[in-house]
Amino acid sequence: MRKLPLLVALCVVLLCGGRVRADEPYELKYPQGLRPMKIPQDNPLTRKKVELGRQLYFDPRLSRDNTISCASCHDPAKGWSNGERFATGVRGQKGGRSAPTIINSGYNRFQFWDGRAGSLEEQALGPIQNPIEMDMTLEEVVAKLNKIEGYRKQFQEVFGTDVTAQGIAKAIAAFERTVLSGNAPYDRYKAGDKKAMSEAAVRGMKLFFGKANCAACHSGPNFTDNGFHNLGVGMDKKEPDLGRYLVTKLEGDKGAFKTPTLREIARTAPYMHDGSHKTLEEVVRYYNKGGIDNPWLDEEIFPLNLTEQEIKDLVTFLKEGLSSPDYPLVKPPQLPK
Amino acid sequence: MNRRRVQIAVWLLAWAVFASASLAQEQAQKKEPAEKKEESKPAGPQVQDIVINLYNPCGVAVQPKTGHVYIADSGNLRLLRFTPGKGEQAPSIAEAVVGFPKDVYGKGPKYDIGPLGLLFVSDNLLAVGGGGNPDGKEVLWFFDVSQIKDKPIQTDAAKYTAGPIPPGEKTNRGEGNFYALTLAAGAVYVTTNGDDTKGWVARCPIKDGTPGKLEPAIATKPQVEVDAPVGITTSPKGKLVVGQAGEINVPEDSLLTFYDPASGKLELKLETPLYDIVALAYHPKSGTLYALDFAWMAPDKAGLYRLDVTTGEKPSLKVTKVLQLDKPTAMAFTPEGELYITLIGTAKEGDKYTPGKLIRVSGLK
Repeated sequence: MRKLPLLVALCVVLLCGGRVRADEPYELKYPQGLRPMKIPQDNPLTRKKVELGRQLYFDPRLSRDNTISCASCHDPAKGWSNGERFATGVRGQKGGRSAPTIINSGYNRFQFWDGRAGSLEEQALGPIQNPIEMDMTLEEVVAKLNKIEGYRKQFQEVFGTDVTAQGIAKAIAAFERTVLSGNAPYDRYKAGDKKAMSEAAVRGMKLFFGKANCAACHSGPNFTDNGFHNLGVGMDKKEPDLGRYLVTKLEGDKGAFKTPTLREIARTAPYMHDGSHKTLEEVVRYYNKGGIDNPWLDEEIFPLNLTEQEIKDLVTFLKEGLSSPDYPLVKPPQLPK
Repeated sequence: MNRRRVQIAVWLLAWAVFASASLAQEQAQKKEPAEKKEESKPAGPQVQDIVINLYNPCGVAVQPKTGHVYIADSGNLRLLRFTPGKGEQAPSIAEAVVGFPKDVYGKGPKYDIGPLGLLFVSDNLLAVGGGGNPDGKEVLWFFDVSQIKDKPIQTDAAKYTAGPIPPGEKTNRGEGNFYALTLAAGAVYVTTNGDDTKGWVARCPIKDGTPGKLEPAIATKPQVEVDAPVGITTSPKGKLVVGQAGEINVPEDSLLTFYDPASGKLELKLETPLYDIVALAYHPKSGTLYALDFAWMAPDKAGLYRLDVTTGEKPSLKVTKVLQLDKPTAMAFTPEGELYITLIGTAKEGDKYTPGKLIRVSGLK
């Protein structure tokens, strides 16, 4: 009698043939140092949805001339950014800001450098419609993908509909939430493994949380306060990019940009919202001099008086301490036909 | 000449107070039909403008025995004393302490600031958090208000000062902007702004009525990972209650936190839907906790909120908006449960008067 439940379970497994149910949850495995992520209630993670999102993320057919995918500017092999100063879109067009990393973007309170999207779902459709990125209307991209049988079938399975703009956004966002980096030497050091970082990195860590003032903004498990700050970058130009101000129209937001994560920072050069700094050494020297003065400069930007040795140690911490051996290197999937 | 100007200014201020108050009463009488007096009584809290034309008021304290209300008229670099009317005696307002140093705070709008948080340490000893000096040079002032007679006193007549907290091992740039103060476990606790990697609450012990050394005591940010302790009060059980304001351009990131004052250990952290908690106070009769939200990025969210905390295995927080307010900064209850609140207010273009004011809220539970 007690064997009956086992038999039933066995039958279920055999009947399913190991196939993934459409609503089978995707269990996020949080690496050391990260905390559980807030997943929107209307977009739970499922294995099939994440897989669909992965395909969409890597698919250049989402662009007008079939040349640009999300991965073109947010390439897993390049720190989920593009290694260039600006994002490059269809017909070789260049944007005015660098491509932010996707790593740990599921934790971000805002998306884009100016925070104009409040969620990954909201963000996902932006580049598709941007004329200098993928240059499609939502109607066009939906019609285009609905002609691909493999996508229609998967959308029916995951969402119970043909391809929709909302479904595209949800699937891409679901996939992006799985791109996590933690378990870095810093996390292990913090957890008690005092050999996890070199002596120079430990000295750099102390500077990071002290004299160098980095933790004033790069705080918490994802090394960001999710806020917007004016560092003075580009503010000496004739017509500077006013960043967050363009969204909020609040005077105090002029020239302010989102604080990015610093996890895997060694892989995401060049740096700053305009990609103007090629190396981490350049970045640290920029902060050390107190940025570029302007009427809206953040109060946390001031001369740091770091010595040459301290600059080296701080860079060592950033490179060594925040680079995970479990870097999320996702390979492009086979795209549906 | 200066004295004459001050007298005129005080007279104008007093006139403005009385004119405003009487106008509000007249309007209320006109609206109220005689036969429906009972029904037309407002059910919620009643709000009354008490002092208007203030310039960035940032602090308020009620003197325990007299009921005098001290206001940090911060942009005017002075403290005012408001004496509520009683019987035949008309309300009055006068300068109490003048000559505080000035700083400019914020990026847009930029605020002229001087004195900030206020707290009565004893019947006559008023502690004033400074905001007009640079970080690392700021001080906590202590004034014996019984010494203030017909004329205001200067800041150098302070009975004591404590601080500054200069740059050092604990704070990389020194501490400043002493936002708010509370008394707990025999010491004044002050929220400060300076080293944003730490978010210090400073402590100034009071022994036999005399302040000791002001020192960084509780590093809040490493414990809660959110910026800026601003609002602070003491719970009926003697815990330090700190409102972590969060980033001004991030919504709903303020935290309500509870610390043991003796050990500085964080005992409870609650997320809130508030934008920038700047003040906390317990109702003296009901023990209900209230918070002011400045909400820099969304003024329509600013106001007075009631915070109902449930402790136990799964602590929780219920937040209820009580009043919409225009850039509230500080508050203090009277022993009877009336609440005074300072508001910076929004200046109208071309307006020659400053919009800051002190309001009084009655009927809170």
